[in-house]
Amino acid sequence: MFGSLKAGDKGKIIDISHVGHLVQRRLLDLGITEGSEVCVKCVMPFGGPIMIETCGQCVGIRRKEAVQIEVERI
Amino acid sequence: MEIALIGNPNTGKTSLFNNLTGSYEYVGNWSGVTVEKKVGVFKNNIGQLIDLPGVYTLNPLSKDEGVVTSFFLNESVDRLLNILDASQLERNLHLTLQLLEFEKPTLIGLNMMDVANKRGIQIDASKLSNALGVPVVPVVARSGKGCDKLVDVIATKSIKPAKKNLVYYGKEVEEAIIALTGELMGKTNHSARFLAIQYFEGNEYVKNYVNSIADSKKLHAIMGNLESKLLKENNIKSLANFIYIKRKEVIEEIVAEVAKKSDSIIPLSEKIDSIVTNRFLGMPIFLLLMYLMFMLTFDWLGTPLSDALDAFLTGPVTFGFEKVLSAVNASEFIHALIIEGLVAGVGGVLVFVPQIFILFFFISLLEDSGYMARVALVMDRIMESVGLNGKAFIPMMIGFGCNVPGIMAARTIETPRERLLTILLTPLMSCSARLPVYALFVGAFFAGHKAFVVLSLYVLGIVVALILAKIFSTTLLKSETSLFVIELPPYRLPQLQSLWRSTWDKGKGFVRKAGTFIFAGSVFIWILSYAGPNGLKVDMDHSYLAAIGNVIAPIFDPIGFGTWQASASLITGFLAKEAIISTMNIIYFVPNDASLQGLLADYYTPLAAYSFMVFILLYIPCLATVATIYKETGSKKWTAFSMIYAFAIAYVLSLIIYQGGKLFGLV
Repeated sequence: MFGSLKAGDKGKIIDISHVGHLVQRRLLDLGITEGSEVCVKCVMPFGGPIMIETCGQCVGIRRKEAVQIEVERI
Repeated sequence: MEIALIGNPNTGKTSLFNNLTGSYEYVGNWSGVTVEKKVGVFKNNIGQLIDLPGVYTLNPLSKDEGVVTSFFLNESVDRLLNILDASQLERNLHLTLQLLEFEKPTLIGLNMMDVANKRGIQIDASKLSNALGVPVVPVVARSGKGCDKLVDVIATKSIKPAKKNLVYYGKEVEEAIIALTGELMGKTNHSARFLAIQYFEGNEYVKNYVNSIADSKKLHAIMGNLESKLLKENNIKSLANFIYIKRKEVIEEIVAEVAKKSDSIIPLSEKIDSIVTNRFLGMPIFLLLMYLMFMLTFDWLGTPLSDALDAFLTGPVTFGFEKVLSAVNASEFIHALIIEGLVAGVGGVLVFVPQIFILFFFISLLEDSGYMARVALVMDRIMESVGLNGKAFIPMMIGFGCNVPGIMAARTIETPRERLLTILLTPLMSCSARLPVYALFVGAFFAGHKAFVVLSLYVLGIVVALILAKIFSTTLLKSETSLFVIELPPYRLPQLQSLWRSTWDKGKGFVRKAGTFIFAGSVFIWILSYAGPNGLKVDMDHSYLAAIGNVIAPIFDPIGFGTWQASASLITGFLAKEAIISTMNIIYFVPNDASLQGLLADYYTPLAAYSFMVFILLYIPCLATVATIYKETGSKKWTAFSMIYAFAIAYVLSLIIYQGGKLFGLV
């Protein structure tokens, strides 16, 4: 789960299918899908969005969507 | 020759467009949406370049992205110029493969090779060209390097359509493509293969298109058949995902062939980010930047410039007009019309040009440098709690300067619902034109607590906006889902040329407006105050303006200012909020602010004055804002709603303040 990752932690996405359709599509557009390796860059306070990095690009997503993405720590 | 420029967002499309085209113009709107279609003429006149919005894929999510798909389906184009970000080659090639399936002559501009090199990626452009079967020209869009070569290739080579069937989608899909192609045979000029694949991907625009030319039941059956076959045999989630994976496999092969990766060095961008979007520092840094931006715009730099322009307009310009008017022996009516109507009315708006341009310059700077996306990220949590989006914060901040650019800035929001909500609420941000009105009344009635009273009005605007956001998003506008996925582009040092172009793009509308409907409106209002039922040059109390004011004055009786003067100034305030001050000056026959302040005490009680200020803060947005709301929403219904709800909320709050205050014994 993304929820358990902290800033600086790295992980590999295992399952993204529980995320809303639109967000899933947009993440796919950005090349983020099952198998992508991501690094959590920072986590905003008060349940705010998180910033992740994958393949050299940074993407901001909301916490509630992030916790629906299953991630394996690497 | 018409060439369409297409690419992912943040790939340097705008820079390339600016470098390739010398002059450019906006040519109306795209059908159905409000995004302006930007068409430029190539520097050496070989044809027109059409700037399309940045998209990741031809299968659109938002309405803005749908523009691109509609363009491909409904308008003719001779060639495609696809710009790629070399540092994100895999992601960018997804779009390229779809473009190649469209089977139009295509040319690729490979941008950001320097960024790729810094990340340790070396790309061989000629190998990429061979792999894709189209010309690939490396460019540096920001500096214009390679653009000459690009133009040469566009101009001289007769580019052939790309080699066909770059991606093999597997036996089942290919069979279905052939079946579907058969159905479309002879019914369209577009590549049937392209239509088939997009249809299978679930592209709504293409679906509507093919259903309009072929038997939708047959098409649906082909797709259903394919889906059931695939889902049975393979371990896949959906047909769209299967197509995505097939493309990805091809892309991986291509990238393995053309790109060499060495150990990457951490780019600078991520180092800065650790401070700018830091948990604790993010918000203070943002507030500090905003403070600097507004101080520069409205205090340190903008106001002196505006004052200088004001002095110039009321001094030499007015004097010059008077000289010319007396030289040509203009009648007294024409003289008064030009000096008291036009110079005062149009000039009053033009005075704000320096501030508007400075504000737009900073906004362009924030956009071009890549900071704007980070602001949206930092603010998202707060905005989400009231049913908005982090991206909505930017238009609202800009709205403190002027509501018009604020509303235009809402274009960056993808989901139509959140964009509409932002457009509707931005006028509640107290714009700079309302400040002079507060200054006048606070000076007259609340001299001891000036700052506190003005601040209370700004805060009231924000609080009302947030509450209404919550109410609207849970009642009127709740159907669509929210989307907040934001790409945070690397920091880039902005180019002066592109900064100026984007500042001018944003600001020129303001200048044009001053010359068109502010011009016409000034004449109209002035004539109303000059003429009356008994003829021209009547006493102000017997003018048409007074007559109109008297008609609506009783409405404002319960909220403390039921005089025709207040009503008339509220009407002119609709034209432009700052016009309230000048109207009052005319109506009360006083030459300057100082004596007007003294006179106001005869007409208002302090409680009525506060009620009046609250009303000014919230009531119907000014004409320019209403026109912008209409232009941006394209909906008469929502434009009317934005006026009605604002008036209603202003009236209700003023009523509560005035009547409530009276109950507590305030006057």
